[in-house]
This record gives sequence, structure tokens and C-alpha cells, in this order.
Amino acid sequence: MQALVNDVEIRGAFKKYGSNIILNGINLEVKQGELLTLLGPSGCGKTTTLNLIAGFLEVEQGEVLIKGKRVNDVPAYKRDLGMVFQTYSLFPHMTVYENLSFGLSIRKIAKEEKNRRIGQALELVRMTGLEGRYPRELSGGQRQRVAIARALVVQPKLLLLDEPLSNLDAKLRHELRAEIKRMQKEVGVTTIFVTHDQEEALSMSDRIVVMNQGQIEQIGTPTEIYANPQSEFVFNFIGKSNQLSGRIQTVSSHMITVVLEDGEQLFVDPDNIMGADKSCAAGDPIKLYIRPEKVTIDPGSSTEPYFNHHTARITQMNYFGSTWEIEVSLLGEFMHAIHPVIKPHWKIGSEVTLGWKPSDVMAALK
Amino acid sequence: MEAVRRNGSPEVNRSMEPHITSQKKYRRYNKYIPALLLLLPLLLLIIGFFIVPMLYILYLSFIQTDGLDTSNASYSLMNYTRFFTDSYYLSSLWLTIKISLYCVIVSLLLAYPVALTMSKCTPRVRGYIALLVASPLLISIVVRNFGWFLLLLPNGMIHRTIGSLGIDSSSLRLLFSETGVVIGLSNSFLPFMILAIATSLYNIDPSLEKASAILGASPLRSFFSITLPLSLPGVVSGSVLVFSLSMSSYVTPALMGGANVPVLPVVAYDQMINLMQWTYGSAMSYVLLGVTLFLVTVFTRSMERSRFKEVFR
Ligand SMILES: Nc1ncnc2c1ncn2[C@@H]1O[C@H](COP(=O)(O)OP(=O)(O)OP(=O)(O)O)[C@@H](O)[C@H]1O
Ligand SMILES: [Mg+2]
Repeated sequence: MQALVNDVEIRGAFKKYGSNIILNGINLEVKQGELLTLLGPSGCGKTTTLNLIAGFLEVEQGEVLIKGKRVNDVPAYKRDLGMVFQTYSLFPHMTVYENLSFGLSIRKIAKEEKNRRIGQALELVRMTGLEGRYPRELSGGQRQRVAIARALVVQPKLLLLDEPLSNLDAKLRHELRAEIKRMQKEVGVTTIFVTHDQEEALSMSDRIVVMNQGQIEQIGTPTEIYANPQSEFVFNFIGKSNQLSGRIQTVSSHMITVVLEDGEQLFVDPDNIMGADKSCAAGDPIKLYIRPEKVTIDPGSSTEPYFNHHTARITQMNYFGSTWEIEVSLLGEFMHAIHPVIKPHWKIGSEVTLGWKPSDVMAALK
Repeated sequence: MEAVRRNGSPEVNRSMEPHITSQKKYRRYNKYIPALLLLLPLLLLIIGFFIVPMLYILYLSFIQTDGLDTSNASYSLMNYTRFFTDSYYLSSLWLTIKISLYCVIVSLLLAYPVALTMSKCTPRVRGYIALLVASPLLISIVVRNFGWFLLLLPNGMIHRTIGSLGIDSSSLRLLFSETGVVIGLSNSFLPFMILAIATSLYNIDPSLEKASAILGASPLRSFFSITLPLSLPGVVSGSVLVFSLSMSSYVTPALMGGANVPVLPVVAYDQMINLMQWTYGSAMSYVLLGVTLFLVTVFTRSMERSRFKEVFR
């Protein structure tokens, strides 16, 4: 049987500091055992949301439920959660063992059980043998692992992670990303993960919550968020994008024709209009978004009837090891295309044809 | 042949090396010259008015003589043996240590809550409190002691207040007693204790308290397990400061304790100024200095080796 209650529920949370509205009506449900990511630019209210769940902040309006119980008036130390902070926050005067036993002693766990659980937690984060070290004597990655172990060892109802990887170098970040995912699945603890790194969110999460300026823009699985963004903000925040603006020429149920400034005609799938309101008419201004990896260069002739073509001149070619990023100039805007060949035969200044499918264009009405 | 070669080859090197090193040395020390020039006035002041007198007093303490006449004196440890064999002076030393310890305890208990409050305030409020805390330092110690004097008099405000509550306070001796001295000294040195503790409280990462709370620790438990241990460096430096200042203070014990509280600085002053026993007074000063240094060192060392040693790194 599936659990009927969500592990966490936030209903209409509203928070302001002075006259600044920080959270503007947040509604969120976290399912049992899932890894949910709060993703958004700096200052959008991710930490505030997490602190709300942890109990470090109070809301002006709305409620927070953990395992179906309203916890608005329950202080943090009674919520039985686990949290990992951006700055690790290991107790500097305690050894790794003491850091881990802190929460267990509070829960009055007997000595043998305590040692067993500490051993298990350290094994989980691959830190066995370092029990006697002080935090000062650990590397950044090791501290992060101990912090995770300390949060998990108390077997919390929820695990909250506030940008736990942002202080680490790129390589370690990739490693720990995979490990956090592995540990989370191994333990099965419901986890809320805060990050402003979209790659991190896409690779780790079961579901992503995209936030912007104190509001939730979209909630969905990584593929939904990436392939089917519901707002311009989400499209631009997740992944790279190319932008073109034009005017609607004709509208039919299966295809919209758009004219660009230079008179060229493009086709857009009407289902790809972002947002709830998809109604439009001829003459309306429209913005088109295309992912760089969806743009083909010199596509040749396509069998698709509405395939989009446009010529442009190459202005730059950037090498990324496995791919080339080709930059072209189109109507005064720079467009990018990702090209996966070893060595393209074009040069800077070459005239090329760009091509993409109508279904790969996302559109926003103004 | 052998000798020539042995002397010969280093000769070449020697003629080269000093040239290079002296130039290097010159360059290395060159950058210190401006700093040295800036420090010179203070250095001269310290040497002339602190180091030289201290050395002179040390010299005096080894002279065996009656009174001020040092012309046909001999050197011995007599002044020191006299101190350590006379129970009056030993009990005076013990009294000094005891009063200083009381001062440390009293100011610790009073200072910690204030420091804790300061660490929780916004920087602006914190600034006001710091100003308030430091303001007694702007008033002369004599004036402050005189204020306490008036309050603590047998018919002063405190006695009258206690009396008006229907409690007989005639047996309570506030003035000319150890209590009075402890009150006066703790009051004087409280700012140092508060600021020392507050400084180390500011340095505690606020997220540690959050981490402890989320692990289930109540605010009280967080305080005793996290905040208090991590503030120990401030507690230790504040205690050392208050202890040393109390050990060497003269004005407050003289005013508020009088003849009833003969702490060592008062006794030493008496020996030197009233009894003209310069050499014995000098020895006493050095005993006081030595004992203070010894106790402070033992205290800080033992804290640094305690189970909280990690905090002091
Ligand atoms: N104590 C506070 N007083 C006033 N404003 C605050 C306070 N804490 C946060 N804010 C504001 O609330 C907004 C949201 O802050 P929050 O810390 O939740 O952002 P975030 O999404 O976690 O950003 P980041 O990725 O930079 O950590 C920010 O604009 C911030 O300036
Ligand atoms: Mg944050």
C-alpha cells in the first residue's frame, strides 16, 4: 500500500522580512522516500523554505505539515529531522564519533546500539576508521560526509540538505552528487535538497521544484522540467536556450506560423506555448525558444513537412572536448548550436543553414 | 701542501660569501627599519620606565640590609626566606589569591549573561551595550570606589534597604571586609570579562546552534554542549585578565578593605612607603609577580590540555 499522507506538505506559506515578501504563497507536497530538489536563483527563497520545514522560521500565513501533523508551533528540536548545512556545521570541539553520538545521546540510545548505528552510518558515507578525528583534521569532502552521516544516524523523518556541495571543487561535487543519491536510495529517507545548480538538480532529483522570487514556477520530474517547461523563467533557468522574436501570421489547431523581422517563416507546435493560457491570434507578438542541442547545422532536406530552416553566419566555435558549440549571428542575436562531431568542416564566417523541428520550439506569448 | 690547499680553497669562498650575505642581510633587515623607527619611542619608554625599574627592584630584592642604607649591603635570599617563613605574609598571599579567585567567579557569573545577550543582538544594539559595558572605565577608579564606599557604609543605602525589609543586617560587614573588596574589584574588572567572553561568542558559527537543535537538543542542552564549550577561550582569557588585575590591585583593597584586608600589594606598599623596607617590599612584589604568573600559566595550560583542548586551537 502506498502511504496516503505526504511526508511534508506546505500550504499557502507566506513570509516577509520587513516589507520584502520572501515567500509568496508556497504550496508543496513531498512524497514518501523521494528526493525533491528546490532549485532557483540566489535569493529566491530556497533556504527560507527549508528553514520553514526545519522549524527555524515561522510563517505569517499558511501551514507546514510533517507526516500529516501540523508543526507550525513545534520547535526545531522537537521535529526529529536531519539537516546538512552549507558550511557543514560540524561541532569543532567534538571528534567525528562525538559529533555522530550527539543526536543519539539526546535520544537516549543505549551504548551498543549507538556504536552499531555510528559504525553503520560511517560505513554508508565511507568514513570508517576516522571516528577519532576532529573536524579540523578532515578535508572538505570528508567533513561533508560526516555531516551527512550525523544527520542520518538519528534516523530522521526527513533529510534536509541546504546546498551541501557548493563549497566543494567540481570533481568532488560530481562524486558526492552520485553518492548522496546512492545513500538516499539506500536509506530510503525522504529528502529535500536545495541547490542553485541546475545540473545538480537534473541529475539527482526524483522531482524538481523551480522557484523564482518567492514563488514556485513549476514542479515536475527532471525530464518534464527540461523538455516541457511551463514558463519562460523555467526554460531560461534550466539549460541553455536560444531566443527569437516574431509575430504570429496564421493559427491553426496543429500549427502556428510565425514571421521573423526579416520575413522568414517559422513553424511552431501550438502545444508548445508555455503557460496555462495558450490562446493567441494572428498579429500577436511571440517569443520562440530553442535548445542549442535541438539546432542542427546544414540539416539537408528533411522529410518533415514543417521543418524550420534559416541561414546564418558562424561567429564563433567553442571546443568542449566531446562537443563543439557553434555560435551564429541571426537577426542581431547570437544563437548557439551543439554539434557532436569530432571536427566540423565549417570555419568562422561560413554561411550555414540551421534547422529544427516545430516540436522543439517552445513559445511564449507576450 | 695539504695545509695550503685546505686553507686555500675556502679562502676563495670566504672572500665571496660574506659579500653576498651581508648584502642579503642588509636587504633583509632593510624593510624592518621604518617599523623599528616607528616603534622606537614606545620601546624607549618601556625600557626606561618599566624594564629598568623592574630590574632595579629585582636587584633590590636580593639585598640584605636594614632600611634604606645599601652602602655596605650583602646579597642574599634573605628577603625571600623571610617571606616564606612568616605566616603573616603567607596568609596575606593566600588572602590575595582567594580574593582574586572570588573576583573571577563573581565577574564570570555576572558577565556571561551580558555577553550572551550581546552575541544575540543585532550589531547596532550590540554596539550600544558595549558602550554601556565599557562606560565605567571612563570614571576614575577612586571616584567609583568612593561611590561604593557610600553605598556600603554601615548606615549606607544597602544596609538601610535591608533594614527596611525587617532584616537585621548589623552582623553583615560590607565595608572594610573581603566582601567589600570583592564587590569593588569585580565591578572594576567586569567590562574586561564581558568583552572577552562576548568576543569569543561572536566567533561561534550560528549554524552550529541550528545543527544542534535539529539533532534534538533543547536550547539549554545546546548551550551547555555547544555554546559554553566553544566560548571557553573567552572565559579563560577573561579570567586570566581579571585574576591578574585583582592580584595586583592596590587602590580598591586599600580603600574598601583598609587594615582588615591586608592583601599583598597593600602590604608591599606599606613596607616600602611607610616602613622604608625597600628591599623587603621589592622581594614581596616579585613573589606576587611570580605567584601570579605561575597560577595563570598552570590554569591556561591545564585548560589547553583538558577535554576541551580542541577549542583552544
Ligand atoms: N534575516 C533576514 N532578514 C531580511 N531578509 C532576509 C533574511 N534572510 C533572508 N532574507 C532575504 O530573503 C530572500 C530569500 O533568502 P533565502 O536565503 O531563502 O535565499 P536562497 O534562495 O536560499 O538563496 P541562496 O541560493 O543565495 O542561498 C533573500 O532576498 C534575502 O535577502
Ligand atoms: Mg540559501
